[in-house]
Amino acid sequence: MTNSIHHYDVAIIGGGPAGQAAALVLDQNGARIAVIDEQQRPGGQILRQPPQEFAMAQSMKGKSYTSLKSQLRAFEALNRCDWIGGKSVIGIDRSGGTVDLTLASGDGITQVSANRLLIASGCYDLPIPIPGWTLPGAMGAGGLQALVKAQAVVPDGRVLLAGTHPLMLIVATQVIAAGGTVAEVAFDQRQSFLARLLIKGAGTALRNFGLMLDAASAWATLRRAGVPVTFGQRLSVIEGLNRVSSARIGKRTVHCDAVGLCYGFLPQSDLPRLAGLSVRWAQPTGGWAAEHDGWMRSSVSQIFVAGETSGVAGAPAALLEGQIAGAGIALDLGLIPMDEAEAIRRDAARKQIRVSRFAALLDRIADPTSALTALRDANTILCRCEDVTIGAVETALIQDSDPNSVKLVTRCGMGTCQGRGCEHMLLRLAAHKRGVGPNELRGFTSRFPVRPTRIGDLIG
Amino acid sequence: MRSQADITRGMPVTIEVDGQMIDSFSGETLLAALVAAGHMRLRNDQEGQPRGFWCNMGTCSECFVSRLDVTPVRRIRACLITVEDGMRIATRSISYD
Amino acid sequence: MLVEQASTGSGASGQNAGSLHFQIERRFLERKGGLGLEGEQTATLSRIAIDDWSTLEDRLGVSLHVHMNGGLMVAENADQVAILKAKADRERAMGLSVETIDGAEARRRAPYLSEGIVAANFMAAEGHADTRKIAPAFATAATAAGAEIQIRTRLTKLEWQGASFRAEIIGSEGAFTVGAKKVLVAAGVWSARIAAMANLHLPLFPVGLTMSASERTPHFLPHLVQHVAQRLSMKQTEAGNILIGGGWPSRLHRVDGIFDLSRPAELIIQSLRNNLSVATKTVPRVADLNLIRTWTGVTAVTPDQLPIAGEFPTMPGLFCAAGGSAFTLGPTFARLVADQMLERERDEADRLLAVASPARFDSLNGFMGR
Repeated sequence: MTNSIHHYDVAIIGGGPAGQAAALVLDQNGARIAVIDEQQRPGGQILRQPPQEFAMAQSMKGKSYTSLKSQLRAFEALNRCDWIGGKSVIGIDRSGGTVDLTLASGDGITQVSANRLLIASGCYDLPIPIPGWTLPGAMGAGGLQALVKAQAVVPDGRVLLAGTHPLMLIVATQVIAAGGTVAEVAFDQRQSFLARLLIKGAGTALRNFGLMLDAASAWATLRRAGVPVTFGQRLSVIEGLNRVSSARIGKRTVHCDAVGLCYGFLPQSDLPRLAGLSVRWAQPTGGWAAEHDGWMRSSVSQIFVAGETSGVAGAPAALLEGQIAGAGIALDLGLIPMDEAEAIRRDAARKQIRVSRFAALLDRIADPTSALTALRDANTILCRCEDVTIGAVETALIQDSDPNSVKLVTRCGMGTCQGRGCEHMLLRLAAHKRGVGPNELRGFTSRFPVRPTRIGDLIG
Repeated sequence: MRSQADITRGMPVTIEVDGQMIDSFSGETLLAALVAAGHMRLRNDQEGQPRGFWCNMGTCSECFVSRLDVTPVRRIRACLITVEDGMRIATRSISYD
Repeated sequence: MLVEQASTGSGASGQNAGSLHFQIERRFLERKGGLGLEGEQTATLSRIAIDDWSTLEDRLGVSLHVHMNGGLMVAENADQVAILKAKADRERAMGLSVETIDGAEARRRAPYLSEGIVAANFMAAEGHADTRKIAPAFATAATAAGAEIQIRTRLTKLEWQGASFRAEIIGSEGAFTVGAKKVLVAAGVWSARIAAMANLHLPLFPVGLTMSASERTPHFLPHLVQHVAQRLSMKQTEAGNILIGGGWPSRLHRVDGIFDLSRPAELIIQSLRNNLSVATKTVPRVADLNLIRTWTGVTAVTPDQLPIAGEFPTMPGLFCAAGGSAFTLGPTFARLVADQMLERERDEADRLLAVASPARFDSLNGFMGR
């Protein structure tokens, strides 16, 4: 373990839209910043960039990307801000007065210390324990999208996209643009349900023109490519021997070689919970969102949150929260007078009203609750790390409906991913059993190291 | 499969995965190289059933592999590591037998 | 009736790392006067515990992942070897079967040990068991035998009423009252608070510890490994994870000068680093494994480091079983205290538990009690 500790005014975890926005505000006000990300390059998952060695002409087309891309360019032009890419934050320690972060990578352990911390670590695909989801070729749609847009690689053969989230329309077009084949885009919901929500939220939808336009043009592209977009027939089983070979959608069997599952996103909550931040259960998709005040201050002093960490609401919302957090931190550090901070906050808050309505509409559209309720196949693995089935969890729940007891008894959540895959479903099952909401249950305890770390790197 | 649309990749590199040589390009993630090579099965579960990657963003731990060409040997997430020429990978866990 | 504020096994009995250690504990060697008289005193209990653990799976009728493949307490230099030898002499005198072997022999039996290990005390009966399984297995067996177990249920008041105890309890379905002739306090670190409800001092002090787990790896470590001069315990679980612990501290939360037991203790990173350092020096290959989880647990120690098990002289009818070593010695305490409570071979139980009796702290309760 190295003993040289770099000190900053502010450390930002996550180089996505929220982290960039905060960095831009803070840099302008003279703060020394480090931005840390597991990816090599800035962008976050939404703007995940191809490697420096690649030249990709058509990366990230689409109206909704425009302002995000210009922010990314501005962020990359900052020259005082230290970009620390390719490292995972595995621990947060406030016992020394500063916020001390432990970082891990293939090069070992490093440490960063800061007066303030912003956690803007984004979200991840809702893990969906559908029969066959452990087969090679079944993956999160966000993971598939990252593979296509940042690496220009598509899985061989026919790709099925299934779920409840409209993002899969866009992922499908990206697969096609990269030369891949899309078997079908299968919406779990009925078309009439979607139409009703869209009509009710028409104003909101129209005001978020860029995103809607992208979805609409995606649909048109798919129609031209002859890709069926279906509604109201639920994906129930993924089948295959050594990898995915087909899937059951309603009563039909669809031949496919890969499946992108698209039911929404969960906040990355292990760092907020490790640091002891107050969190709330994020309806309807689930997971734990960090609570905050009007300046994006968390419940723990020195630590701020922004973006999907505070609840999944999409990149435009994340960007605005990042600006507010940047102003809040600058104010906290005495780098900016109250009226200037307040001006930034007011401006962002005004724009937030619009994007948050859209995020709420999207939440209602993509609500995975009914799909998850239908998934009660006892033989399906829920905890991928420890091979614990839904049936084993349900049996343990009969004895004791406390999620942490079930964890101890079954090992569900005790593996390498620390429960990031299974916790949400275990909580849903326990809540159902007890007749309460998941928000009334205590989730898993987040433990150091938040990502698996070589023991030999930690010694000394 | 690698997309051929408007793309220039990095320099060709060769990596070894479970004794098999796989072509890749500088800058690619190990996971992308594996997917492009059709190498979707990254481990077996306790019942011997095949597993592939799930999240491709460092979260699910399904793509842990052992990197053997470095000292010390490392257990790494294929989705976060960039390929290097001569990289040697075993998809099984480290074994001393 | 058994009343548990959380879930069975959710405290230290489920959080400890599952060592079955029957050699004199290294912590007893840390104190002045050297060779652990306290440890010697518990040797008799250890002998009984070996039998209890050997038969526990059969008696409960369920696999508890009990592995008694032997335990090694290792030494790295001549001074440490001298301690090992003296310790083994004492242990043998107390009827425990311990042999001191040299480094080469230690590596022959345990090829994973570092070249730096020059000797080890080997005790064939030592090993480990799965802490996740013990409490639920006992709970199932107790229920089958007719016990009523109330989880997520809290004791709020405990008082002696002349002929019996009266306990006020709050559960998920509301408050209720239970009368009992005899009460056992086996609430781990919370035991002192339960005793206080009965107006008694129980000198149990909370201690935060650190444990960690590696990712699964093919089985290579069949033993319990400890170090004679440094805090270390290592073993490999049935699933294949290497568990590393041995008494490295974590930091208890404090509110107004009182230790806050409602929150898990806070990890001290340096503590973990030191623990991993000793582990990799002893078993070098674990350095290449990934650490997947570190957790803290809270146990309780007494002023003389010995456990407390038996009846309070100041308040007959009130019993206690707590205070350290209670994973290894827990089933034995349970059996013997049950004998005391049921007046079943009471004299024998009293004799065996004499070393742990609450009577030794009775002076604290001269002004307390009924």
